[in-house]
Amino acid sequence: MNVERDRAERLADEELMPLIGTKDPEAFAVFYDRHGGVAYSLAYRIVGEKTAAEDVTQEAFISIWRSGARFDRARGSVRSWMLSIVRNRAIDTLRSRAGKAPKLTFDDEAALEQRPAEERTEEEALQHETARELRGAVGSLPSEQAKVIELAYFGGFSQSEIAAMLGVPLGTVKGRMRLGMEKIRGELAEGLA
Amino acid sequence: MNETNHNGWQEDVAAYMLGALEPERAAELERHLDDCERCRAEVRWLMPALNALPQSVERQQAPPQLRERLMAEVCAEAAPAESERAGAGGLLQRAGAWLRGLGSGPMGLRPVAGIVAAVLVVAAVAGYAIEGGIGGGDEGGSTETVVSGKPPGVTAKMVTKDGGESGTLHLANVQQLHDERVLQAWVQREGEVEPVRALFVPDDEGHASTAIADMEGVEVVMVTTEPRGGSEAPTSSPIVTMPIPQS
Repeated sequence: MNVERDRAERLADEELMPLIGTKDPEAFAVFYDRHGGVAYSLAYRIVGEKTAAEDVTQEAFISIWRSGARFDRARGSVRSWMLSIVRNRAIDTLRSRAGKAPKLTFDDEAALEQRPAEERTEEEALQHETARELRGAVGSLPSEQAKVIELAYFGGFSQSEIAAMLGVPLGTVKGRMRLGMEKIRGELAEGLA
Repeated sequence: MNETNHNGWQEDVAAYMLGALEPERAAELERHLDDCERCRAEVRWLMPALNALPQSVERQQAPPQLRERLMAEVCAEAAPAESERAGAGGLLQRAGAWLRGLGSGPMGLRPVAGIVAAVLVVAAVAGYAIEGGIGGGDEGGSTETVVSGKPPGVTAKMVTKDGGESGTLHLANVQQLHDERVLQAWVQREGEVEPVRALFVPDDEGHASTAIADMEGVEVVMVTTEPRGGSEAPTSSPIVTMPIPQS
């Protein structure tokens, strides 16, 4: 017997996953309604194109539908797990686009300042307070740290590739990544304090 | 453990978490993590920062069609399992096969799978109420009735004649239509969905009927509301769907 919608909506993600593992469409619908928006947003951010973002999101959620029972709560939250699946598929899509340039422009030192205006105006652009706070933490990075993190996470480039692109030593890239991640972590910790 | 080596690995933790380490180096680091609590602590410490990256992106509105396609695929895969659990047997399995056929069909029919799948979920959860011989005496043919959703949901009755070669579909409890919309019936044969060209509307009491001239080989009949003039493929959720038992 499938779970009813009302009951499914009251369940935590971790409780929905076993139901999805038993092929319960209602549990899956609730899961998608909770996370489909951020998943599509991430896919779009990486692939930069609506149709491809839809395909990535669809593939990711279908893979979750087919492997929901494999979620291991010891490895983090369901949401993070789901977003890592979306990210990996989006990066695969980027890499499979032979001859197509990724969305990011890395030959411009001001690349991060070239985002659309609506991205720079937080109050207009962000619909959720959580996203705004997280964005603030990411946006507070020095540009050289933000750039290597964006190229890695959203562009799917290795540290060696990034070093070659930016014309800096590999050790510099490593250091910027580490400093940037630690700074974001520090901002989040401050926000929680 | 050699402290210098440890520091070398720790320098790579952020890149590893960002997916920026080359595969061989990443595999080595994973082996190191098995034995190094300090590096595992570093991973745990940085994890919220990693999780913040995807959740900080500009929010986009996911297209509604994406949800429809996903649910179509999900329901198509779920229907056989659910029908086995419910003991419903052949009808839902056939309907599930229909959905799978639609899902792999031409792009124009992709939304249909989601639409029909949604009805199947209702059927699977609430249970199909299929009865024989209800009010079918007037035209002398066989009848089947399916209730869509909870009462007073739409009820449908198919009255066949000429040995089942043609029939008339009677609906009751149909809500009044707005925006110049009409009712359109659809039939499925061998997994292919075809429109029934005659369009119809409900009367003031919510009754509506349409003739289906060729019932030969029809496995499922459904009805949707469509824009005036009808559609080549369904564009809305079915108000009723009726598996037709095969003789």
